[in-house]
Amino acid sequence: MSESKFETVSLLVDNYQQSDEAFEALLEDEQLSDTWDRYHLIGDVIRGEVSNNLSFDLSDKIANAIADEPTVLAPVVSETRQNTVKAKVVKLFKPVGQMAIAASAAGLMILGVQQNVAQNDIVVPNQVVQTIPLGVADPVSLNFQQQPDKNAQRQAYFEQQRRFQALLSDHQHQIKLKPSVEKTSPVTKTEANKTPK
Amino acid sequence: MKKIYIGLLLIVASGLANANDNVQAKSWLERLATSLQSLNFSTSFVVVKNNQAEPYHWYHGVDEKGVEFEILALLNGPRKDILRKGSVISYIEPERAPYSVVGKQISGPIPSVFSQDITILEKSYDFVSVGKSRILGRPAQIIRLVAKDAQRYGYWLWLDQDTGLLLKTALITRQGHLLEQIQFTYLDITDSLSPTLAHLAQAELPKVIELPESNQVANFAWQVNWLPLGFERVKTDRHRISLTKQAVEFMLFSDGLVDVSVYVSPSAIAQRKSEFVKDGATIVLNQVVNNKEISVVGKIPSTTAKAIADSISFRGSNR
Repeated sequence: MSESKFETVSLLVDNYQQSDEAFEALLEDEQLSDTWDRYHLIGDVIRGEVSNNLSFDLSDKIANAIADEPTVLAPVVSETRQNTVKAKVVKLFKPVGQMAIAASAAGLMILGVQQNVAQNDIVVPNQVVQTIPLGVADPVSLNFQQQPDKNAQRQAYFEQQRRFQALLSDHQHQIKLKPSVEKTSPVTKTEANKTPK
Repeated sequence: MKKIYIGLLLIVASGLANANDNVQAKSWLERLATSLQSLNFSTSFVVVKNNQAEPYHWYHGVDEKGVEFEILALLNGPRKDILRKGSVISYIEPERAPYSVVGKQISGPIPSVFSQDITILEKSYDFVSVGKSRILGRPAQIIRLVAKDAQRYGYWLWLDQDTGLLLKTALITRQGHLLEQIQFTYLDITDSLSPTLAHLAQAELPKVIELPESNQVANFAWQVNWLPLGFERVKTDRHRISLTKQAVEFMLFSDGLVDVSVYVSPSAIAQRKSEFVKDGATIVLNQVVNNKEISVVGKIPSTTAKAIADSISFRGSNR
């Protein structure tokens, strides 16, 4: 029933001819005239015809709402206590987390420094490269350094690192000495200034 | 006549779904080449590989006479600078005395082909326009270089919508693993030559070294019998590896984008298992077979490097 009432309002707003009874009903019913107001306001907003200082009269509604609210005489104790407990827990654990972050940052710095030292040393090859032998079960790795009794293996490891480092550096050098590519016809300017869609 | 047929074929092919994308991608790459050659830019980028970041600064400019100037400097660790004045390129490195070579493009972390004619890449790669993204606070176009065979890595490029310049590149395996990437962190384009480059114009570069004629291939008792499609030999010589003073016979191959070095030398050891290390996308593979030490270095998958090493045959031996 109320659905059809709102429909009537909607039709009136949209300038569809309605009977006089409909107008009468609208003027009498407070809810319907409110709806009529709101619909026109929506229309104005959509068309951008709303003035800047549009004032919805909220103050009396808020006043009414406050008056309706039951007065709380005593605050609920248990809830506040729960809050303080929670805060304590947070306080306890936060410094630990921060310390962990600080510690890991320090760890990173130590790693970084060690790497720099290794890079500057000419005798010790760059440790950036990792050896992965093809088809061999246990990889040749940095672990060999920690076994002082296996001197020969360590020697072999360094030898290998040095070989790889030498090859890598020579490869990079040779690329620089490579004769420039014959096909160096540069693209014509006009062609390339066109922006591809 | 043949060309007309090929042309017709291409026209027919362009009717296919993604052919238009490819044409677009190519024109983006052509625009990149022109921008890299003609714009005055000052830019910074970071090369990320092996969980490490190497920062670089890169200046490029063209003076009134049309001469190109370029500076590429590594910002961390020992000084490593590349200077370019027209067709003279100087390398300043900690391992060697400064030297200059004659060439068209500097050889840094960014493949030099990007500033050249990219049609040479069409043999081995498809150019695909993938979409748009936002890099360095700018709208970017994503272009992929997809290898036509499974023996190579693919390149992703993020190009600036406004200037066509590089904003980011990535080297990615066929499985989608990221091996190396270059992220630009700063880009400034000016109308005239930057003061730094104007200063370079006044400076004197190290002496140009004479490159020996590299046609000694007939003397070599070995040959490479297999390479991925599109690889061509660009250099052949005998030299000593500077770090180990080892004498090697050397061939350099290139598909335009990727360089692969092959080294062969006699060895005191009879056999040694194949071993390799990886530096970002660059693989260094080394093995000894029948008293011959063979090494393959380049930005290729390990299986490809192994296949190249195994394809080498020696004249006069039954291998």
